Amino acid sequence: MIAVIRSELYRGVTIRSSWLALLGFAFLAALMGWFDKNFWSLFAGLGAFGLATIVTAQHYQHRTAILLFLSRPHRWRVLAAQCVSSALAGVVLTALSGLAVLVDSDPGHYVSTVLVSPVMGVFGTLCVTVLRRPLWVFAGLFAWVVFVELLINRGEGGLPFTSFMLAAGGSTSGLLALLGWTAAVIPPAAWAISRDLTGD
Amino acid sequence: MIEIKELTKTYGRVDAVRDVTFTAEPGRVTGLLGLNGSGKSTTLRILLGLTRATRGAALINGTPYRRLSRPLTHVGAVMEQGLSHPGQSGYAHLVSQSLLGGVGRDRVGALLEYVGLEDAATKRTGDYSLGMRQRLAVATALLGEPNVLVLDEPANGLDPPGMAWLRELLRAHADNGGTVLISSHLLAELEQVVDDVIIIGQGRILANGPLAELSGTSTLRVRGADHHLLAAVYEKAGASVVPENGSLIVSGLTPEEAGHLALDVQVAIYHLVAETRHLEDVFMRVAEGR
Repeated sequence: MIAVIRSELYRGVTIRSSWLALLGFAFLAALMGWFDKNFWSLFAGLGAFGLATIVTAQHYQHRTAILLFLSRPHRWRVLAAQCVSSALAGVVLTALSGLAVLVDSDPGHYVSTVLVSPVMGVFGTLCVTVLRRPLWVFAGLFAWVVFVELLINRGEGGLPFTSFMLAAGGSTSGLLALLGWTAAVIPPAAWAISRDLTGD
Repeated sequence: MIEIKELTKTYGRVDAVRDVTFTAEPGRVTGLLGLNGSGKSTTLRILLGLTRATRGAALINGTPYRRLSRPLTHVGAVMEQGLSHPGQSGYAHLVSQSLLGGVGRDRVGALLEYVGLEDAATKRTGDYSLGMRQRLAVATALLGEPNVLVLDEPANGLDPPGMAWLRELLRAHADNGGTVLISSHLLAELEQVVDDVIIIGQGRILANGPLAELSGTSTLRVRGADHHLLAAVYEKAGASVVPENGSLIVSGLTPEEAGHLALDVQVAIYHLVAETRHLEDVFMRVAEGR
């Protein structure tokens, strides 16, 4: 598992699109943090989710999942390692982008967001493992957040992204709901990663 | 050693491969031949643990791929068209794979040199030609110094020197006691390197054996001063003779025997060529026979 984490992190820093995505999401979140700590939390969480999605999806997009599974045939361990590396990337992104929040306004909010954002990274990795295509994940994310979480649920708790916002603000129930959603995606992701890799 | 035992893979009601059984021995290069959709790649994917078999077993040195400890040290594989992330350099790709496989990154530089990519090591693989990507794929397969090599269409995109390089590499690997299983539709290329041939069609094994055995005995094309006399003396020696386009097609004699018999009856020989059946002929004969 350590080997996969090391390899994934090395990939992350040697593939330009990956570290540009990290910097881009971090810059956007930091910019938002300049105006409002909640905006920072939102963009840091979305950044952790998006970064995990991009990095994991690249394996399916460029077929390097074949090399991954040839080196590490135990796919559930691969999935676990990818979740850990996404969580680490989420922590780095959130911790770096929120320095303004830490210094100027609310250290407690900073700490809770940094602690919760890795869960969004794990959630992103699990979602893209099921769907395998980043476009589907991002389109689904947009539709889900706008129509389900904001229009239908009116931004109230219980759903993944609003739960993340609540958890970032220090809500235990929000954190539990987010962990519940993440746990719910584990079985389909574990099934999906075990599927046959067919020809291109 | 690679052992495939009664392997079957079914998608819905369709058998992609059915009861496929063969062995690839150490010290030999085994070619897996078949048309597109014949079941070659499915067989290799099952062997490499990428696809699950419906029935049967695929073993590498007696163990299923998924149970191999540090598989890169046992098996090197080249699959599809030179897999790599296009945004990563060749060097970074190999380092990623060495970290992943737990095989140490000290061989990366030497392997890049070995496959002739040392000057392109820092270039993004997205800017590589198909041949360069295939060379990188071969380097990736060799990272763990494996005993078994499994290659699916590795010659695609290689230029003639690249093909010669690949042939030498595979031959040397087999001569050092390694096992090589290679699938390709480039039969003329394959013919120059394989020892054993497995022909697969519609998911079933159609023929399996040493290339020399499948090619059969060679025939002789003879042109001389007196075809009647030559035919008579060759037939008397036990050969079968068929006239064709001003020559005699002789089966059952070696070139030396045919030459000596002609000398005995004082018939001048203008042309004497041993014609061996090529792999393509063998493949077409087997494919048409089914």
